[in-house]
Amino acid sequence: MKKILSLVLALAMALSLAACGGSSSDSGSSSTGDSSSSEGSSTSESSSSAEGSAAESEGEAEETGGDATEAADSITLWTYPIGGWGTEDTVNALIEGFTAATGISVTVEYLDYTNGDEKVNTALAAGEGPDLIMEGPERLVADWGASGYMVDISDLLDDTDISEINEAALAACYGDDGAVYEYPLVMTAHCMAINKTVFEAAGAMQYLDEETHLWNSSEDFFAAVQAVYEYTGSTVGAIYCGGQGGDQGTRAIVNNLYGGTFASEDHTSYTWNSEENIKALQALVDCEGIEFDASIVGGDEIAQFYQGTLNMAFCWNIAQQLDPNTAGTGSGLTLSGDEILFMAFPTEDGSDPELCGGIWGFGIFDNGDDAKIEAAKQFIQYMCDSEATADAVTAANYFAVRDTVVDGTVDISDIWADNEIMNEYNVLMQYLGDYYQVTTNWTSARYQWWNMLQVIGAGGDVTEAVETYASNADAGISE
Amino acid sequence: MANSKSHPATSRALVRRETISGYLFMLPSLIFFVGFVIIPMILCIYTSFFDANLTANGEDTFIGFANYVELFNDSIFRKALLNTIIIVVVSVPVTCVFSLWVSSVIYKLRGSLLSFFRCVFYLPVVTGSVAVTVVWKWIYSYRTGVLNDVLTGIGILDGNVNWLGDTSTALACIIVILLTTSVGQPIVLYVSALGNVDSTLIEAAEVDGATDFQVFWRIKWPQMMPTTLYILVITTINSFQCFALIQLLTSGGPTHATDTVMYYIYYSAFKLYRLGYGNAMGVILAIFIALLSALQFKLAEEK
Repeated sequence: MKKILSLVLALAMALSLAACGGSSSDSGSSSTGDSSSSEGSSTSESSSSAEGSAAESEGEAEETGGDATEAADSITLWTYPIGGWGTEDTVNALIEGFTAATGISVTVEYLDYTNGDEKVNTALAAGEGPDLIMEGPERLVADWGASGYMVDISDLLDDTDISEINEAALAACYGDDGAVYEYPLVMTAHCMAINKTVFEAAGAMQYLDEETHLWNSSEDFFAAVQAVYEYTGSTVGAIYCGGQGGDQGTRAIVNNLYGGTFASEDHTSYTWNSEENIKALQALVDCEGIEFDASIVGGDEIAQFYQGTLNMAFCWNIAQQLDPNTAGTGSGLTLSGDEILFMAFPTEDGSDPELCGGIWGFGIFDNGDDAKIEAAKQFIQYMCDSEATADAVTAANYFAVRDTVVDGTVDISDIWADNEIMNEYNVLMQYLGDYYQVTTNWTSARYQWWNMLQVIGAGGDVTEAVETYASNADAGISE
Repeated sequence: MANSKSHPATSRALVRRETISGYLFMLPSLIFFVGFVIIPMILCIYTSFFDANLTANGEDTFIGFANYVELFNDSIFRKALLNTIIIVVVSVPVTCVFSLWVSSVIYKLRGSLLSFFRCVFYLPVVTGSVAVTVVWKWIYSYRTGVLNDVLTGIGILDGNVNWLGDTSTALACIIVILLTTSVGQPIVLYVSALGNVDSTLIEAAEVDGATDFQVFWRIKWPQMMPTTLYILVITTINSFQCFALIQLLTSGGPTHATDTVMYYIYYSAFKLYRLGYGNAMGVILAIFIALLSALQFKLAEEK
């Protein structure tokens, strides 16, 4: 009897283990909409919604080129924390609208920038990637698109869409092969920020134009840093280089100071070993109030700026201006209540800066299931080109990539009309520069960049370091 | 006569049945072991001979030992290997000696006091590595860290030190954190081992006039040897596999001063998508750990 019991127990344990290895469901995910439709036992409600979905998909298919593939009744979306798109309540509200309109339920998983890439890459390697993903072209186009994981969604863009969407934003969504791997939804221009209260006390406001948010010149930028440094006696700004987090800020300050560039216009080589960039890096090394800091990344810099430890931040954008350090203590204010002024990066003669763009939208992973791809396309059209687009954009807390949607019939240009900060920030959007983050071998080039800054910060020769690491980045392209 | 023949047969059937039962009980963990240890090990060795990446379009190309050749020409890997060896060489003896010392002091304490000390030292082990890292990051912070505040406050330092951002201090800082998270388990094990030492032998030695050191060295230490060996092996493996601290605190910087082989494996495989190269590093790391563990077993046997 004992042996029979032990046998039964052993079998139960083995089977329970096998059961554990079944279909994966992540605790971090949530299904919104018609949850019953995603379960095996379909109810009358789910089947009717699936029918509705099929009917909708046919209509959509006709609009988007006559593809008669029936849409699946459930898809998965993985999203990085792009404003409110990283918040479950906000996303649930948007997805409920989509499910009501199409009958397609969406399971959402929330990624972060610390290990989101690893999670996606591991899933792709295992053939278990999501159907949809929300992020920027540097991942969707230059990374997963170039690696062959993404679906070409050029059929979603008709001539009207192409004319409506911001040209620079749309250009970044094309792969080298001419395919479209991302449908852009929102964009912003990354900028820098100063502690206006401290700058005023230090008499440094004379070096910039508060109205246009531009510096008078590079020389004045360094004069302002010196004035604040003498007033406070501590480091004013940090060239953070502890990792890749927020590295667009360090690239932007270096590139803008004397008119350098990071990559060639055709995105086929890295150009940061130019005289202009070497001059900029040397000037930053020589500046008393600026310190190269290999112990922090962009997020840490923002935190120290918010705490008042630093009086200048190179990692800034509208989301930070609206809610500094995501602390919820008031727009445009530091922890102690000092006023934060967002600024463009300084240029040599005060001419127009080239700001690094942030572009975010949706891409579809090619999981080999046409029905899922069709449903994902419906999702993209609903969020990016329908009456719901205004809500999808405001959820992200960034600017729409277009003023009108649905063939020009719905105006979304005024969605931020009642938001003073967003309106003021709009002055920087005209300076949106080249989206070079889609240059070949981008991941490795980023690695080379912050490692180069560490070497320079540790006292290495600027010219030698720049040449070495830029050629390493270029070598990656030729491999 | 018939009875005498049937006994061995019954015995064999009994043994067979118990063996089957035994294996069935082992089955759940065997499934895990094969699925998560043996198969990945084989795949790791296999992939290390390929130029494997995460490209959906491309086939992995067989390149023989090219990944291994590249490894030993890769200055970052050599630096990572050196850092890993430094971590092992420093942290393993310090962890063992410190744990032994603390255990020797506390193992005779009253029950509640002993539990208190065991809790104190074991706390960092059971605390999540992310929480531990956040606290240490705050302690080491260049501009606002408590360590700089204290050391400048009492006059040891003239100005703030960028503990994690300076090549001369970063690795030492990582080792200090590693020690705090490593000593808990050895202390608990040593306290238990010291409590199990045969007290009659100690009393006999003391009656014979042995000094405290002689009692420890001749009586206690030999009886704790299996525990010491276990501690040496697990501490060595943990030190070789130091990863979370590096990833969360320094990303291998500044200028690769805190790069370890484990972190470089992760970076190559999951950031640069060079899975074959990462697997080759994994094989080399496994060989190092196996050799060192074998050496430790050998030395313990001789002892």
